[in-house]
Amino acid sequence: MTIGFHKARKIKAIIAFALVCIMSSQFAMAQEASSAGTTIPTDEASIGNGKSLFSANCKTCHAIDKKLVGPALQGVYDRTPSVEWILGFVKNSQKVIQSGDAYANDLYAEYNQTQMTAFADFSDEEVLSILAYIKQETDNPTTAAVAATATEGGATEAGGDSVSSSYVSAILIALLVVLALILVVLVMIISVLTKHLNNKEEDLSEAEKEVTKQSFTMEGVLRAKPFIFAVAFVFTALAFKAVISQVYSVGIQIGYAPEQPIKFSHKLHAGEMEIDCNYCHTGVMKSKNANIPSANICLNCHSQIKTESAQIKLIYDAVDNNKPIEWVRVHNLPDLAYFNHSQHHNVAGIECQTCHGEVQEMEVVEQHSLLTMGWCIECHRKTDVNVKGNAYYDDLVKMHDEAGKGKMKVEDIGGLECSKCHY
Amino acid sequence: MYIYKSMKKYLVVALGVVIAGCSASGDNPGKEYAPNMYHSVAYEPLKQIKNKESGMWVSSLDNGVGEYYSSNPNNPHEMNMREPVANTVRRSKFGFIPNRIHKDSFALAERVLKSPLPNTPNVEKEGKVLYEKFCDHCHGAKGIEPGKVGEVFLGVPAYTSAAIKNKGEGHLFHVISHGKGRMGAHASQLSIEERWKIVRYVQKLQNQ
Repeated sequence: MTIGFHKARKIKAIIAFALVCIMSSQFAMAQEASSAGTTIPTDEASIGNGKSLFSANCKTCHAIDKKLVGPALQGVYDRTPSVEWILGFVKNSQKVIQSGDAYANDLYAEYNQTQMTAFADFSDEEVLSILAYIKQETDNPTTAAVAATATEGGATEAGGDSVSSSYVSAILIALLVVLALILVVLVMIISVLTKHLNNKEEDLSEAEKEVTKQSFTMEGVLRAKPFIFAVAFVFTALAFKAVISQVYSVGIQIGYAPEQPIKFSHKLHAGEMEIDCNYCHTGVMKSKNANIPSANICLNCHSQIKTESAQIKLIYDAVDNNKPIEWVRVHNLPDLAYFNHSQHHNVAGIECQTCHGEVQEMEVVEQHSLLTMGWCIECHRKTDVNVKGNAYYDDLVKMHDEAGKGKMKVEDIGGLECSKCHY
Repeated sequence: MYIYKSMKKYLVVALGVVIAGCSASGDNPGKEYAPNMYHSVAYEPLKQIKNKESGMWVSSLDNGVGEYYSSNPNNPHEMNMREPVANTVRRSKFGFIPNRIHKDSFALAERVLKSPLPNTPNVEKEGKVLYEKFCDHCHGAKGIEPGKVGEVFLGVPAYTSAAIKNKGEGHLFHVISHGKGRMGAHASQLSIEERWKIVRYVQKLQNQ
């Protein structure tokens, strides 16, 4: 029994010793880990992880090489007191500021007391991987390089365009020169041949003499009756055509592309930047008019983008002086006709481009459609009413189907009634 | 010769007609049939012609101004539209009244503002339509990767980021209405109801 007791004590002591050993070694390992944890990792995995964390959480307010809401993060690990300081600040910046930390307070004051969101859920490893990404971007700025090559590419492309247009005009000029030379050569040949024949006058018959002695004076040609007739005919025909087409174009503003007070490009905004028409033309779902946007809508982006551009400064000028920008209206439907954007957009589901053309391709907007009554009516005759998912039309569709006249067109529901548009 | 000479005269006239033209191009809006019927005598909201002489030749008005003149000299900048009286409150057909929470009080907005819209799939669907018109060029179709404008604009957050993921509907509504950080206020473009619809769809994107 006693032996057993002794044995048990011995075993307990061994276990205790072993435990102490394990714990102390673990403690040492933990210490090692924490000291390794405050250096910025350089492995690919951390950088990749940091990149996705950065774009998901930090990009709102920070860029690597540019001051946004918060400071540019380039080399942030070198200028701040320590990497531990960054860890603390990211997790709870207010705590660091309130602790009286001088660097943090200076930063807070510099950025107009903008509070940085507290990322308390981030682990040290996550913040360090973000720093790893920042370090990698600081050392090899990939995005900047890509942007630079992109603009270079754009420049050469633009250059290519102007080269090709000057090339075309060079070809045309060369052709004209060649034609003129041919004319000169022909005249020379004629004069040489006539001279040659005149020298051998005695060998020629009477008829041949008549040909060689013919004088080609300009006046003779102009006085010739066939010539006058031909000219008169061509002229009358052209004048007639011009008059007819001009008369037909009265009251039609197709092709009207006025210069605007600010050189706004729909091609850039609606095309390349893919901004929806409705973002600026706010009335299209609600009103008769699609609306010409007010300057505050421009500033939603241009408070930050291209703030140095002379054209953008015109917007600032308008806003600062509370002065409207006097855009020139392109589509002027006559006052005698009524048209409603919201009806055509919401109910019929017609795309803007159906009537306005490919505005997203236009540098300067021009009127694309005729906007005449015939043009309206043609569409109302051939377009099926968009009844899908619209209970309002259920009874009408039923009645129309009973009458058995095929698909219900806009004209069938009064789309050609005079008083629909003229009242 | 006589015919030719007189033809020359006509030729010049015809060329003049072709060049001056009745058809529109560039800055020239072209000629109109019955100008008196084309130009509104009443004030038109999106049109303004300040020149009093404009359309004098067809004028049937007895107030001494041209037929096309369309400006209201009583308004600032002679505008045809007039700004509402200061502090006017617009009421929509649903009776939504704008809140008076200060634009920087996001925490208060999050606590106080509640969506008046029912929790139906239809609201979310309409929110999606509006989101695609008003938000996705910056925030991207899914609210994670920035859209085309977001790429140049910089600083567009992902809805799933730690800072935004758990923000409530009141916060989202307040941000759309007044803007936050680099984002601008969108209250002038979107009615209260439309903003709440977008909030509903953004909430879906937060939890994707």
